[in-house]
Amino acid sequence: MFATSNPICISDEIADMFIAVTIALLITMALTLARALLGPTLFDRLLAVNSFGTKTVLLIAVHGFMTGRPDFLDIALVYSLINFIGTIAVLKFFEYDDLGSGAYQEDDF
Amino acid sequence: MLDWLVWGVSWILLLIGCVFVVTGAVGMIRMPDLYTRLHAASVTDTGGAIFISLALILQSVFVFGSAMAAIKVLLIMFFTLFTAPTASHALAKTALLCGQVPLGVDGKPILDSPEEATLLARSRSVDYKSGQDAVEILEETRRHKRERVQGQDDDGDDD
Amino acid sequence: MDTLIVLVLLTFLAITAIGIIVLRDLLGAVILLGLYSLTAAGAFVVMDAVDVAFTEAAVGAGISTILFLGALSFTKHEQKPRGHDSWVALIFVVVTGGLLIYGTLDMPHYGSPDSPSQTHPELAVRYVQESGSEVGPPNIVTSVLASYRGYDTLGETVVVFAAGVAVLSLLGLRRRRPEDEAPEDAPGDIPAADPQDNPRRNV
Repeated sequence: MFATSNPICISDEIADMFIAVTIALLITMALTLARALLGPTLFDRLLAVNSFGTKTVLLIAVHGFMTGRPDFLDIALVYSLINFIGTIAVLKFFEYDDLGSGAYQEDDF
Repeated sequence: MLDWLVWGVSWILLLIGCVFVVTGAVGMIRMPDLYTRLHAASVTDTGGAIFISLALILQSVFVFGSAMAAIKVLLIMFFTLFTAPTASHALAKTALLCGQVPLGVDGKPILDSPEEATLLARSRSVDYKSGQDAVEILEETRRHKRERVQGQDDDGDDD
Repeated sequence: MDTLIVLVLLTFLAITAIGIIVLRDLLGAVILLGLYSLTAAGAFVVMDAVDVAFTEAAVGAGISTILFLGALSFTKHEQKPRGHDSWVALIFVVVTGGLLIYGTLDMPHYGSPDSPSQTHPELAVRYVQESGSEVGPPNIVTSVLASYRGYDTLGETVVVFAAGVAVLSLLGLRRRRPEDEAPEDAPGDIPAADPQDNPRRNV
């Protein structure tokens, strides 16, 4: 069903280890997803999403090697940056309740 | 010979990475409060990414013979190395600023109120200058708070 | 193996979508939408739709999260509890979804060698052989999207542009300032920028 072409034929031993990593990453993503859905506070959800993003980056990279075509690593690169920016954006929203305000006002003791 | 060496080292690195990653996820499920979960997730995230990326670099150089892939994986590793701890730090700081009180060893909150967590998060300049530890900062913020409350009581006609 | 990964990722997608629907906290829903986009993009990569995955990463996880946050700063963070069950909406959605699924039955299977684009005698050959000289870019997908299928892409761009203009007009271009609102609404109240007064302190 999923017909893919393999420009570089990799041996079974090498494919095996990428399959093992992929399964571990999928299990991790499932656990992280559970935390994102359960997470009592919003910070738990945000933490889970951030961690899930890192796992997605790794999954895409490992999948590229598993199918013998490590050409699409750019996407993993883009993800690792977008994941970070998204997390920081949401955190900024938490802190200021607004995306527009910029200045950090020191608490005057 | 080199093939088997690369194969073995890759397996070891990948397994270490897998252990890191899965441990972090289990910790994120089982830990009791936000900060411990954050600790479990952030450390293992970075560690797992580093080890898996190292294995991928090894593979792309010796098996795939692609320097471009190796450079890209190296970039991914560096970005993760920089962004994951930064994001975790920002998350912890913002959580403290929004009044999330950490739990102590006995499972009880170590601060009296969310306001104290906010004050503790805002007291970073004190930390840099005097090198106080968290307890002293907390004492100081409590004293400041008392003074502020008294000050508000003194000129209470502002409200 | 690819089938397994795609199935697992699609399961994640379904679970996340149900979680988003159930969640009443709108900010939590926005955060989960980011997770949804990441999962979808991962599935796209595994299914070899690399450019779609790029778009999903940039638009779904990046821009739409920020747009949602911008919209949320003008509204409340809790969804209003609904008193009634909207059966009419449910029936409408089920019928529409059923029609869409019925429509996909005519489509060729994923990666099928019998799909019209594969069986057409000249189409793929022409794209592969001539697109370099006819259009120019070395990437065939870019040539197809920007030139051979240009009107379709133009329509998509118009839709995206209209959506962007609509969002901008909804959000308004004027900066909101705390001091504009504070005196009339609650005299003596601390401005909302002060986290001590943050209503989500105990989230």
